[in-house]
Amino acid sequence: MPPRRSFRFPRRTASQVAAEIEEELAFHLDRVAEELAADGWPREEARVEARRRFGDLEKTRAVCRALDASKEREMKWMERWHELGQDLRFAGRQLWKSPGFTLVAVLTLALGIGSTTAIFSIVYGVLLRPLPFQAPERLVRPYFIDPGGETHGAFSPPNFLDFKAASRTLSDLTSVENGTLNLSGDGSEPERLQAALVGANFFKVLGIRPLKGRTFAPGEDRAGAPRVAVVSEKLWWQRFGGDPGLIGRSLTLDGQPYTVVGILKKGVQLPSAADVWVPKVFSPQELKQRGAVYFAAIGRLAPGMTLRGARAEADVIGRRLSTQYPEANASYFKTMTVDSLEERMLGDTRKPLLILLGAVGFVLLIACVNVANLLLVRAAAREGEIVIRTALGAGRGRIVRQLLTESLVLALAGGAAGVALAAWINRTLVTLGPRGIPRLDQARLDSAALLFALGISLLSGILFGLAPALQTSRTDLGGVIREGTRGSKGRTGTRARGLLVVVEMALAVMLLAAAGLLIRSFSQLQNVDPGFRAGHVLTFKVTLPQGKYPDDARLRAFTTALLERTAALPGVTAAGATAFGLPLSEEDETLSFTVAGRPPAPPGKEESIRIATVTPGYFRLLGIRVVRGREFLPQDRNGSQPVVVINEAAARQFFPGEEPLGKRIELGWKANGVPHGGEIVGIVAGFKQEALQREIEPQLFMPYDQAPVEALSVVLRTPGDPSSLASAVRPVVRALDPDLPVYELQPLSETVASSISQSRFYMLLLGGFAVIALVLAAVGIYGVIAYAVRQRTQEIGIRMALGASRDRVLGMVVGQGMALALVGAAAGLLGAFVATRGMRSLLFEVSASDPATYAGVALVLVAVAAVAAYLPARRAARTEPNLALRGEG
Amino acid sequence: MPKSSLDLLQGTVAVLILKTLSWGPLHGYDISRSIRQRSDGALGLEDAALYQALHRLERKGWIEAEWGVSENNRRARFYRLTDEGRGALQTELSTWRSYVAAVSKVLETA
Repeated sequence: MPPRRSFRFPRRTASQVAAEIEEELAFHLDRVAEELAADGWPREEARVEARRRFGDLEKTRAVCRALDASKEREMKWMERWHELGQDLRFAGRQLWKSPGFTLVAVLTLALGIGSTTAIFSIVYGVLLRPLPFQAPERLVRPYFIDPGGETHGAFSPPNFLDFKAASRTLSDLTSVENGTLNLSGDGSEPERLQAALVGANFFKVLGIRPLKGRTFAPGEDRAGAPRVAVVSEKLWWQRFGGDPGLIGRSLTLDGQPYTVVGILKKGVQLPSAADVWVPKVFSPQELKQRGAVYFAAIGRLAPGMTLRGARAEADVIGRRLSTQYPEANASYFKTMTVDSLEERMLGDTRKPLLILLGAVGFVLLIACVNVANLLLVRAAAREGEIVIRTALGAGRGRIVRQLLTESLVLALAGGAAGVALAAWINRTLVTLGPRGIPRLDQARLDSAALLFALGISLLSGILFGLAPALQTSRTDLGGVIREGTRGSKGRTGTRARGLLVVVEMALAVMLLAAAGLLIRSFSQLQNVDPGFRAGHVLTFKVTLPQGKYPDDARLRAFTTALLERTAALPGVTAAGATAFGLPLSEEDETLSFTVAGRPPAPPGKEESIRIATVTPGYFRLLGIRVVRGREFLPQDRNGSQPVVVINEAAARQFFPGEEPLGKRIELGWKANGVPHGGEIVGIVAGFKQEALQREIEPQLFMPYDQAPVEALSVVLRTPGDPSSLASAVRPVVRALDPDLPVYELQPLSETVASSISQSRFYMLLLGGFAVIALVLAAVGIYGVIAYAVRQRTQEIGIRMALGASRDRVLGMVVGQGMALALVGAAAGLLGAFVATRGMRSLLFEVSASDPATYAGVALVLVAVAAVAAYLPARRAARTEPNLALRGEG
Repeated sequence: MPKSSLDLLQGTVAVLILKTLSWGPLHGYDISRSIRQRSDGALGLEDAALYQALHRLERKGWIEAEWGVSENNRRARFYRLTDEGRGALQTELSTWRSYVAAVSKVLETA
């Protein structure tokens, strides 16, 4: 009887299985033949008879082969499964036995995986998740291309209707105009709503279904149709407490009654900031004004049509519209194009977010390098264990698999901790993130992000585990046994660790350089002279609805009263107002103009200028410098001599080498048939009305009293804290007109801060990642040098016994660390030089290869590396030669 | 060899093999001989069916096979009952007994 087997046979191949079956059957047939021969059968006939008695030999072979093969497969899987269990238990024990190592590795990985997952969740939520509309990739926006190549999205009603009628590549085209509407008359405080004035087919084109009720029906954008409105879920909750009876109720918007017909689901709306949608009814007058551009168009590609086809068609239609109506169109555009809606909505956000994702990717890589380093150090300590297992018959593959299992366990533990960290980072970023990043509020740590975390955990586990595992498993049995405890691969191990440090230094330098550039540009941005003084100024807006304020006289009366009463508020030292002229408001009202005495420009070549109206004292209140001439005075009234003020940019552009003062300007804006404009009486230094990064554009100012406008921004100066005035403002406005909402009530300094909040957001994030990278890299250098010092204790002892001074030893060890750091830094600077090219568009007045930034980064890094190398070096220099030589140092 | 053997019912082969192996490991030839002898040649188990059944039982995990040396010093494949097979034998036996009892009852009352 054979012994019960005590170890596993290697699994059999298909041909081995077949051969064994053959042997088993041959044995049987031989025995039967022998039996027959013993009974007296002749040898040959006995064999034939044995075959005959056996039955169907071929079928038996085939059946047995199939059965054995499936058995082999099952055994293989069971063995794998069993080994995995073994490896997992063993890995758990090994990690549990060295809690310090495990903790450091898990935390490092959690940092890397956590921040990468958090940024991925933002990138996914903002960029990758499809827009919440039906087939969003088929939605497009048509654009006009001006003679200078710039694109503009604004349509006039006639151009819109002509384009819509001519297009065959788009199945439908709709219009959307951003506006604001005053909501009042329901007993609560009046409120300024973000409104979208849209074509009745708007929701149909986008494929938006309402949460409740309905959207607009065809024809509801025609003159005379009953007024209807759709509201956002946000407004429904905030203003109406989620009242289910809101549908069918009447709202007063800008003094007109509208019936609410539907409510849109949060997150499934466009524009994302809108509170209310109403059908846009083009008045007969609007339908005649081809030159007045003020709304956007959104179309859907017809089935089978491509973006490329739509572009080609837009080019043809655009050229035709431009030449057919040169008076209105030629100066605005030469041709047209279409772009994907998605690209237009998200395009600006893509680059900074992808740069951030790249940056956290670096942090993760550095974390992996650090853990790989730790594993290499550990591998040296585990040489004995590996040798014993090899001697007991474990194959190299088996040992690599065991070590990789350990890495994967580490990586998954790090990933689990990382997800917790990611959840926290995600929440922080979503709450503190700046406005203007679309859909940021909807970026969650969802299943996509969790899947991503799992993926990068496994990937990191293999990444940081593979090299150490391969190296460890290469242990040379004979060498280790001959040399006693010291491994034969100490040298190569040191080299591998050195290489890892160089890599991680290089990565850290690249990150630091990128962060440095953003920090430099942010500080440049903060140092930009905005042209006005933002401190101690409170601003707010009101918009006077035409129904109640139909003429200039009523506008003037309201504005005068408002300024008188706010100026009288305690703590207010000056009050002023403007239309289109609030700093950093991005309000843009541009009109064509002519200078008296110059020949009229040919059609399509008229010059245009950004305009604003301001009250007397406005420039002084905001600290805007008057360069020459005078600012507006109280006597520049309605009926007196019309006057204007221009800024220096306008003087430079339109009056080169001329004296603008005294020249007369006529604007393409007529009141009672008389064009606005007047004599230039002053030149001001100008101020930033667009973002701080942008150049100041030519601008022309008129006295408010001579050109009243219904959209009013009020500015109040106070010696104290401007936000303390805020509560006093609303009662003043309410006393004048209880239906008038006050909005955008905030200190001007806050407007300034929020205008740079995106730059600040990206800078802080990238800076944070760079600091993490630097710390990890420093820990890496420290670890490698400290380990090298421990390994070389005997050698250092000998050197000191032979007369090397402590300083010499210190210098040697620090030198070793610095050499690694410098090589890494050089590689990193080179890498940064190439990689930061891609960031140019994010930088402001800093070159992507800014020498000061690069020098600063290199300096920081060398200093950190010096400290990280100095600490272990000091220990080396304290080596007692006696102890070291006896191997006890 | 008598030719008047009973044809074996499907499934009966398995229980015969299991029972035969319950006394100890055997190779296929000995199993075949043992069954023939103990039934006094009444049960003619075809060798082709025996070997297919052996490999089927091995696939099920009721028996396991191993190469050993036969009494005439040749390499032979020995089969042994596994713990699982031992349990299966008990179940099969009791099923068999109740089957036989039921069939006898019907036949004897007839």
